[in-house]
Amino acid sequence: MTIKRTLMGSAAGFGIAAGLATAGLAQDTTTLTIATVNNGDMIRMQGLTSDFTEQHPNIELEWVTLEENVLRQRVTQDIATQGGQFDVMTIGVYEVPIWAEQGWLTPLDDLPEDYNTDDLLPSIREALSVDGQLYAAPFYGESAMVMYRTDLAEEAGVTIPDQPTWSDIKTAAEAMTNEDEGIYGICLRGKPGWGENMALISAMANSYGARWFDMDWQAQFDSEAWNEVLTDYLDLMNNYGPPGAAANGFNENLSLFQQGKCGMWIDATVAASFVTDPEDSQVADSVGFAQFPNKEGVDNHGNWLWIWTLAVPAGSQQSEAAQEFVAWATSQEYTNLVAENEGWRAAPPGTRTSLYENPEYQEAAPFAQMTLNSINAVDTTAPAEGEIPYTGAQYVAIPEFQGIGTAVGQTFSAALAGQMDAEQALQAAQQTTQREIDRAGYGSN
Amino acid sequence: MATQHSRAAARFMIAPSVVLLLAWMLIPLGMTLYFSFLRYNLLMPGNNPFVGFENYAYFVTDPAFQAAIVNTLLLVGGILLITVVGGIALAVLLDQPMWGTGIVRIMVISPFFVMPTVSALVWKNMFMNPVNGLFAYIAEVLGMQPFDFLTQAPLASIIGIVSWQWLPFATLILLTAMQSLDSEQLEASEMDGASAWSRFYYIKLPHLARAITVVVLIQTIFLLSIFAEILVTTNGGPGTASTNLTYLVYAESLLRFDVGTGSAGGVIAIILANIVAIFLMRMIGKNLDA
Amino acid sequence: MARAVTTKTKAINTAIAWTIAILIFFPILWTVLTSFKSEGTAIADPPVFLFFDWTLENYATVQERSSYFRHFMNSVVISVGSTIIGLAIGIPAAWAMAFVPGKQTKNVLMWMLSTKMLPPVGVLVPLYLIFRDWGLLDTRIGLIIVLTLINLPIIVWMLYTYFREIPNDILEAARMDGATLRSEVIYVLLPMAVPGIASTLLLNIILAWNEAFWTLNLTAANAAPLTAFIASYSSPEGLFYAKLSAASTMAIAPILIMGWFSQKQLVRGLTFGAVK
Repeated sequence: MTIKRTLMGSAAGFGIAAGLATAGLAQDTTTLTIATVNNGDMIRMQGLTSDFTEQHPNIELEWVTLEENVLRQRVTQDIATQGGQFDVMTIGVYEVPIWAEQGWLTPLDDLPEDYNTDDLLPSIREALSVDGQLYAAPFYGESAMVMYRTDLAEEAGVTIPDQPTWSDIKTAAEAMTNEDEGIYGICLRGKPGWGENMALISAMANSYGARWFDMDWQAQFDSEAWNEVLTDYLDLMNNYGPPGAAANGFNENLSLFQQGKCGMWIDATVAASFVTDPEDSQVADSVGFAQFPNKEGVDNHGNWLWIWTLAVPAGSQQSEAAQEFVAWATSQEYTNLVAENEGWRAAPPGTRTSLYENPEYQEAAPFAQMTLNSINAVDTTAPAEGEIPYTGAQYVAIPEFQGIGTAVGQTFSAALAGQMDAEQALQAAQQTTQREIDRAGYGSN
Repeated sequence: MATQHSRAAARFMIAPSVVLLLAWMLIPLGMTLYFSFLRYNLLMPGNNPFVGFENYAYFVTDPAFQAAIVNTLLLVGGILLITVVGGIALAVLLDQPMWGTGIVRIMVISPFFVMPTVSALVWKNMFMNPVNGLFAYIAEVLGMQPFDFLTQAPLASIIGIVSWQWLPFATLILLTAMQSLDSEQLEASEMDGASAWSRFYYIKLPHLARAITVVVLIQTIFLLSIFAEILVTTNGGPGTASTNLTYLVYAESLLRFDVGTGSAGGVIAIILANIVAIFLMRMIGKNLDA
Repeated sequence: MARAVTTKTKAINTAIAWTIAILIFFPILWTVLTSFKSEGTAIADPPVFLFFDWTLENYATVQERSSYFRHFMNSVVISVGSTIIGLAIGIPAAWAMAFVPGKQTKNVLMWMLSTKMLPPVGVLVPLYLIFRDWGLLDTRIGLIIVLTLINLPIIVWMLYTYFREIPNDILEAARMDGATLRSEVIYVLLPMAVPGIASTLLLNIILAWNEAFWTLNLTAANAAPLTAFIASYSSPEGLFYAKLSAASTMAIAPILIMGWFSQKQLVRGLTFGAVK
């Protein structure tokens, strides 16, 4: 901070509008700049920060809230160039091990004693550690599951089993669709992006027994399994999906589901607390849950795991204060605080065992058990069927995946928009992926 | 009339602008040029080896590259066409006597003040959204299927949004030019029995030629690098249907964090923009000197 | 127009012009109206136009979530600051080009304009590194510098075309009367140049206010202007039309109102030499 001020001072010395400079007065207070996503849980956290600042009167918080894609670009750019603009960053589980290996993250070894790291769900803690050292604290964790309208299912005379197969889903989607009333049987992500449509499609591929790469890093989009995945995905969306699906991501679908326009929605488990919130959701009292579907005979329920975490960039001038904040925001006390203010249903899910053992939570959150089961079922060391050279989940845990995933996502989104058929899309995806992976030099290893 | 002395003074007065812009051009551009020859990915720090023209080759052979060039030209061309034709029509209309000119003018120029991000967000969500948008509602009332603008016609939709933002600018410049037209000439032609159309075609339109070139030049400068509207509405998709060159460079350097390839793309974009610029300058130069 | 116009023609003109103007203005009007609706009303089917329970709730929500005033002040400081510095640098240059044109004047001018064609994304990483090293990231000064440089070509060009229209005869006459350069500038040229300068000033404030690439990428919390403010509302969060509308209204209202009040001044100089 001092270096920055001196430099700012000299810049002001330029004579350019010195009075306009924001050079704050030197005080004992530390200001933490926190970059975060505009997801519901983070917005809620912003609203509750007075609890933190009351406990830490010498720490001030500045929020930079951005949409996911913009946020990811901003923080990656900043950390890779050591721009030092943020003291706490909200990053995903995908980034944590990659960034930790680059030495970009501060190991979280200053956490207070009552933080109780042993309480973190084992698969979550595992995913955020490198060599046994925790590098980011989980804010909330999610797998994916089916959320469906019990009233519509009843009306249509279909039942969705707790462990549905993709053909069960198709049958239900067909039965629930009623376009005259603006009800679409199924809403799935279509918005291009490795964390948007590709999250769903990759998880779907896992559950169909398809994989991204074989052991020689050859892309597998020319396989029969992928053909089935994409054909079925397009078939579901074109016949029973809402219009404009190629532009729908998590938030758009959430909005549609809350308005009662979707019969089923297969997406992140974290959505459950929003769709059952009577204040925001018009269908709050008639939502049922089921596990992520699989194809008959494939023992894989998608292996979707996503964690939004708070991490402290290496070299942060205020690492100590930053860790205090991170600890607060991911602590059991924070969970209690949310519960006090907004009810147990709103507690950030998927990070701590204690939450799932809490009878109050179990009662308030009908989706608790399904969420926990889904997260526990994830195996990040072997997300896909068959032999694979990578780890991951609904993504491939290599730095190049952002680029590849986004490019493939664009192609599949184009297929959904009707610009090409499944075969052409797969061909294009195969080409792009192979091109990028060869350039990165994986094949030659 | 210009003396030696005043020439020196003139140089002195121009110098700050030139030096600053030169620095602005050379420093980032120089670095971009340098990066474009390196293998440089933000996510994989380490030594960034010199790779010659590999990045260029990679960028140009990207299947999206051709689409991006075509889309860039379509975007610029389409928006220019709409704003110039629409601008002339509006200028002619606003030049007519009517009640409430002031308010009409205020309403017409308002879109120009709206941030590109905001206008893209508003159009995308509140108008073009196929479920909740106003257009979907109108289609429903008319008994039609709601049209999914950003998926079915992404480029055309973006052209529409951006045209809405720039139409006021074109209208204003054209209107000012129109009002500077000598009214005696018009009256004389009217007495000669010239029809409204021939008055427009033979007197007003030629008078507007300069104004039109100006509109084309200024707008092209801004339109070549349209970005926010694409990012907000379609993310360049579906597929590459609405990816322009600027967006492609963005995708390389900030979505894939491949700064090397992104820089190569940036250099290519600059070269292409300058080719367009030279064209334009020729055209404008001719028109402005006349 | 000196010609007599029948009331009927005038009525028809009025009707057509008002219809078109309202259509063009409608998206803005709709946004403002929606910002006063509840989230449920905002997506009501059929849409409601004026008759709903007006509420300020969305503005309260937005204000609670983001410190609007700070973003607003940043926008003001950055756009006004960059414009004023741009004018300070650009006026002498345009002046010299217009009154002491040399062989290269036109080329220099065209070259300046061509720097505007530099696609910003292409140079973001280099600039980010420079800003980091100079400690300019997330400072108003940093943004003022960038926006000044971006808009300088437009400033110079606009002023140049305006100054060129000032007839040389008047200057000659003033000189004949024994006016010094100083008084020539102050009493003769400046009054004639003011409309052009005013209009350049306004146009550049608008352009700088709405610039959304650099302002978003080079700032975090301290210097972030309204473009960054709106970026945190750009993806849906459940029902969000009303909140989005409120945030949008807050982001565009200041510049819209300024534009309305100053439109005469803006238009007067906005010719870019298009009028002979």
